Amino acid sequence: MGPVPRTLELFYDVLSPYSWLGFEILCRYQNIWNINLQLRPSFIGGIMKDSGNKAPALIPRKAQYMANDIKVLRQHVQVPIQFPKDFFSVILEKGSLSAMRFLTAVNLEHPEMLENVSRELWMRIWSRDEDITQPQSILAAAEKAGMSAEQAQGLLEKSSTSKVKNQLKETTDAACRYGAFGLPITVAHVDGQTHMVFGSDRMELLAYLLGEKWMGPVPPAVNARL
Amino acid sequence: MGPVPRTLELFYDVLSPYSWLGFEILCRYQNIWNINLQLRPSFIGGIMKDSGNKAPALIPRKAQYMANDIKVLRQHVQVPIQFPKDFFSVILEKGSLSAMRFLTAVNLEHPEMLENVSRELWMRIWSRDEDITQPQSILAAAEKAGMSAEQAQGLLEKSSTSKVKNQLKETTDAACRYGAFGLPITVAHVDGQTHMVFGSDRMELLAYLLGIFCGPGGCLSSPYPQGFQEEVHH
Repeated sequence: MGPVPRTLELFYDVLSPYSWLGFEILCRYQNIWNINLQLRPSFIGGIMKDSGNKAPALIPRKAQYMANDIKVLRQHVQVPIQFPKDFFSVILEKGSLSAMRFLTAVNLEHPEMLENVSRELWMRIWSRDEDITQPQSILAAAEKAGMSAEQAQGLLEKSSTSKVKNQLKETTDAACRYGAFGLPITVAHVDGQTHMVFGSDRMELLAYLLGEKWMGPVPPAVNARL
Repeated sequence: MGPVPRTLELFYDVLSPYSWLGFEILCRYQNIWNINLQLRPSFIGGIMKDSGNKAPALIPRKAQYMANDIKVLRQHVQVPIQFPKDFFSVILEKGSLSAMRFLTAVNLEHPEMLENVSRELWMRIWSRDEDITQPQSILAAAEKAGMSAEQAQGLLEKSSTSKVKNQLKETTDAACRYGAFGLPITVAHVDGQTHMVFGSDRMELLAYLLGIFCGPGGCLSSPYPQGFQEEVHH
């Protein structure tokens, strides 16, 4: 038996583009590095409020930078990410509370589906510029991920229970206690120590902290499998 | 004759720790990649003001994150960087205007010394927790970089002329026009296009934009290239 896998917690919100990039990179590495990747659906709105931070897009030059950055990263990370047409409305007004409550419910009842459903929600908002706030939008993502209509409907109903609302709050609070001022954050548990890295552009640093090899955002093993 | 080197402009301020890390990484790669590294001393205070951004350290959790991040990057990037004891006083109150004016003067008169003098200023503020605002502090850094006392004194006097003040303003404005909301920014000129990357943690992306061959080990498997490591050990 080999060494014990290191636990990596990825706190993310589907509203966050960099969360998607970090998510895809770590999903690729979860079968290459000796890690146990734990996905933690969180609420970025709550983290901003609690930390006193503001969405970067509120500073015009940061918004401009992000727009360009996402274009370049689309190619570099090989994820079909693109800005929604009405960015401010989608990100700053509509938000992600229902979607993240749904993912919380998925994580409680069918954690094996969490990766796929998360991905389908990102594909809606951050690739096809589709809504993720209406019940039918969330159900469509769940079904695309492989859930039956019944299963999806059941989880949607559970989303508005106190249990699920509280779980999302707890996960968001956990991210805050790790020091989050935004998302994504990746928390690595290594040899009794905890390391938190912010953003999707610190994966090389994460590899260094884990003592693992960094092979870029699209590691060869992925290509070999395809 | 090989392909024309690509111009890389690094806009930096010695007040900025991530500027130091980006600077050292690019200095290491300037003789490995086919690039022409142009150092652009800028004033981060001016960029913050012009962009409407605020120093990250003003958000408590960001300050905490930076403190830890710098500790880890010290090892990973192999630069002797450490937080000054009274961070808020050093960074948010004392600032870097005189130092950046001095570097602007150096760049105008002795550009070949700019790399060394910049480094010595960083060593003062971001390694040994020493002042960089007083004239004698700046002169000490210049002399440590290899300048004569006379040369350094001459440049210090030039620092307060309109010519130098305006040049620093112009460089800072250029950074703003490239879209800077902080420092460091690296501007790569590639095949008629301009790419601006912010921060010191985007060097792999920069390599990708420069079309540097990216093998299975990634475009940048470490912030210190193989050759550099060998130099250090021999």
